[in-house]
Amino acid sequence: MIKVMNLSKEFPKKDGTVFSAVDDICFEAKDSEIVCLLGVNGAGKTTTMRILSTIFKPSSGTAEIQGYDIQKNAQHVRENLGFLTGDTGLYNRLRGSEFIRYFGRLYGVAEKTIDARIKEMADMLDMHDFLDKKIEFMSTGMKQKVSIVRSIIHDPPVMIFDEPTSGLDILTARNIVSFIRECKQRGKCVLFSTHIMREAERLADRIVMIHKGKILANGTLDELRIVSEQTDLDDIFVYYVNKFTDETEVLAHEF
Amino acid sequence: MNFKKVGVVYRKELLEVLRDKRTLFATLILPVLLYPLLIVGFNSIMTRQTAVMEEQGATIAINDSVGNAVSRLLAEEIGTIDNYNLVPFTATTNQLYEDKDVHAIVSIGDSLGADGTQFYKVYVQYDKSKDRSRIVFDKLYDSFKASEKKLQKQQLQASGINPEFLDLISVRERDTSTAQKKMGMLLGMFLPYIMIIMLLSGASTVAADLVAGEKERRTLETLLVSSAARQELVFGKYLTIITLAMVNVVVNLFSISFSLKFMLANSAAEMSGVQMPISAILILLMAMIPLATFFAALLLSISTFSRNMKEAKTYEQPILWVAMMMAMVSFLPAVEMNNLMALIPVINIALLFKAVMINEYALSHLLITIGSTLVLDVLAIWATIKLFTSESVLFRSEDDSGSLKAVGKNKNNFFNPFYGLVYFSLALIALYYLGTYWQGKDLMSGLLKTQVFIIALPVYAIIRLLKLKEKEILRIKMPKATELLLIPFIAIPAAIIVSVISQLINIIFPFPPKYVEMLSKLFTMDASVWKVFLVMAVAPGICEEYLFRGFIIRFFEKYGTKVAIVLSALLFAAFHLDPFRFVPVFLLGLLLGYLTLRSGSLVNSMLSHTINNGLALVLVTYGSSAWLKPLISGEDSLHYWLIIPAVIVFTGAIYLFHKVTEKGVPECAE
Ligand SMILES: Nc1ncnc2c1ncn2[C@@H]1O[C@H](COP(=O)(O)OP(=O)(O)OP(=O)(O)O)[C@@H](O)[C@H]1O
Ligand SMILES: [Mg+2]
Repeated sequence: MIKVMNLSKEFPKKDGTVFSAVDDICFEAKDSEIVCLLGVNGAGKTTTMRILSTIFKPSSGTAEIQGYDIQKNAQHVRENLGFLTGDTGLYNRLRGSEFIRYFGRLYGVAEKTIDARIKEMADMLDMHDFLDKKIEFMSTGMKQKVSIVRSIIHDPPVMIFDEPTSGLDILTARNIVSFIRECKQRGKCVLFSTHIMREAERLADRIVMIHKGKILANGTLDELRIVSEQTDLDDIFVYYVNKFTDETEVLAHEF
Repeated sequence: MNFKKVGVVYRKELLEVLRDKRTLFATLILPVLLYPLLIVGFNSIMTRQTAVMEEQGATIAINDSVGNAVSRLLAEEIGTIDNYNLVPFTATTNQLYEDKDVHAIVSIGDSLGADGTQFYKVYVQYDKSKDRSRIVFDKLYDSFKASEKKLQKQQLQASGINPEFLDLISVRERDTSTAQKKMGMLLGMFLPYIMIIMLLSGASTVAADLVAGEKERRTLETLLVSSAARQELVFGKYLTIITLAMVNVVVNLFSISFSLKFMLANSAAEMSGVQMPISAILILLMAMIPLATFFAALLLSISTFSRNMKEAKTYEQPILWVAMMMAMVSFLPAVEMNNLMALIPVINIALLFKAVMINEYALSHLLITIGSTLVLDVLAIWATIKLFTSESVLFRSEDDSGSLKAVGKNKNNFFNPFYGLVYFSLALIALYYLGTYWQGKDLMSGLLKTQVFIIALPVYAIIRLLKLKEKEILRIKMPKATELLLIPFIAIPAAIIVSVISQLINIIFPFPPKYVEMLSKLFTMDASVWKVFLVMAVAPGICEEYLFRGFIIRFFEKYGTKVAIVLSALLFAAFHLDPFRFVPVFLLGLLLGYLTLRSGSLVNSMLSHTINNGLALVLVTYGSSAWLKPLISGEDSLHYWLIIPAVIVFTGAIYLFHKVTEKGVPECAE
């Protein structure tokens, strides 16, 4: 379970002022639930996820993963979390299986369990052909699959995937989408981010729209449809962004 | 910390290194090939060069002022040397010699002994600095000695004595012990240097890759979200660097040993008995371990601090240079190991090395070396772990408030550590060149000028130039009367404590006598007491405080009060350009920094500084007078028992100071 409470993150800017990448956001993701963090480029998705994964410290507010506070209990948070960012690198000189095994050992998973999990997930993601290839010689899709297995080798109850399908072809992307569904089936709590509406539509139980660091909307697709009186998720998103822009302009006028 | 996980990280890093052909080549293959090639190649070139020089021959001018059969024989003998031709000495000979067309001038003279025997004197003029001329001289000398023998044999034969008498005793030398000694000395000079360089290069090939490389390849994030603790990651990487550094040293050492052995076995008979001292080399390998741990820690912290490999390499460069220069200490014959030297990294290992080679090392030096290295290791590792947990270092944002543009926009951006260090370096250079020059011309006015023109005025100029509020920035404000009242009760015992500490340091690391002499000259200047007091106590009290506690400390305050106090004290100590007073001055700097930041008033530390220097002056000037006698042992050292009342008074006064300045806190926290 993920619980985000008034989370904010500020970065220092060149001129000495600060920039709010994430601004006072709150949302929740329960077990056996897939929540989608939807937003345009630079909305603050990755930043939010990095805070949840304990890499960034929040400027204010906090969050809980499986009941552990991300600041007070960072070690437990990491143990209970599988985290995948879109642009992480891999160790090129290692083979796929060696890479996954390395992280398995870092998480303290027993060798036998590692073997079993690699086999199981390689079946699911169809990766037996390249598992023993050097990562250097793998394609983007192969690397992404290796990364996914790496991130959840310790079978964590909470999984956070940052744009898991970006840069992948349709078949590979579908493969990964069905894998995420499978995770939900097993009772995992999944938070994933995307700016592809179709993907959010197809996969998410609930959608959290984020824009310029603020949350625009939070609900199931049906709830959002009703409020915005639109059917297509594209239109729903534009509706909320416009509403947000109007509100902030009004605010700006008031001051 | 889970050592199993450290092992996991370590094994994976080694695996990656082993799969990296470049590193493998640099650490394993290159040394194996390099030394045999270098030694064999060098050797053959040397032999060839000598042969060429022998064949070259020479032109010798003969100035024969005797002109009898003997002198002619001498000249003739020279003429029989291969490729040597003789020219008579004429007016142009000196010019020819200058032009190197004549290689040596031989002048033959004579004198008469008491019994009427004619003795011959041969002068050879040649350029001893030229290898070629030296060979010429050697040949000439041999030729003269051969002529001498010929003449002696003739004489003996004429007197009816068997000429074989001259060869009655023939001596041949086969001296292996000198060759061995020479070898030991040579190795003692070169090996430490070579091994330290090898260690550094081995460590630096991987260090940059291990963290900065991971940042560059964007793998660090995955590592940090894993449940391995930061220390486990740091230690795994740390061990990898140490391993690689040591492997590099061992491989190089063996390669050197084997190629030397090979060379010696094939060389002339006189060197064939020479052995490489294997047992000494094993001790040395052990001694390299502390150095390896130190550099591994240092390079790892640099790698962690840097954004990418390029940046890491840039930061590594100056450190490697300094270390190399320090390693060169093994070439200096006069520098010997002592307790002080044992404290300085690199130098201690180089000297220890040398001492081991001639089998004269002290256990205490070894222990101090290891101890001091361990302290530095712990510091560097601690810093690395801290850096590993700091998000701003791992994901540096575009905060470059230090750029000139940013300073233009907001002048307070000027106060960042980079500019602080730049300013400090400039001041230090001015002090070193200009200050030394002024003080050399006239000590009294030179010291005063240094304080005013190098230490204080430039700060004032910068404050004006940037239109900063001087009073606010430098904390120039009148403290409360109670604070001022407490200062003597802080400064006087502090001065006593610091003196006693430096006396203790003096016991372990004695000041060289020359240094003490120089220092006392400084204090016993030929001027009235009040003038000396002004120059030695009041001026530094005002000017140095203005610079260090007023200005320099500001550059570091963004990292918090404690860091600012420690860093400014370090720079303050370094500024005195005196390794023997580093610790006492540093301690004083800590106190002064505290006084200023705590109370928000520079006046407090100015007064305290003046009192401190004044006391030192009193001690030197009146040390021998009756009223100070009870406090003093020897010439001008304080009794150790004084530290007890000093600590009591000091603690009390600091406690009170802390209390009365309670309101000053917000000012320094800001
Ligand atoms: N380390 C950092 N330092 C400074 N600013 C940052 C940092 N990381 C992110 N930002 C800024 O925070 C904002 C949000 O970035 P973030 O990466 O969270 O966006 P995103 O929603 O993931 O976008 P995308 O879809 O492009 O991945 C951006 O404006 C970015 O410039
Ligand atoms: Mg992103």
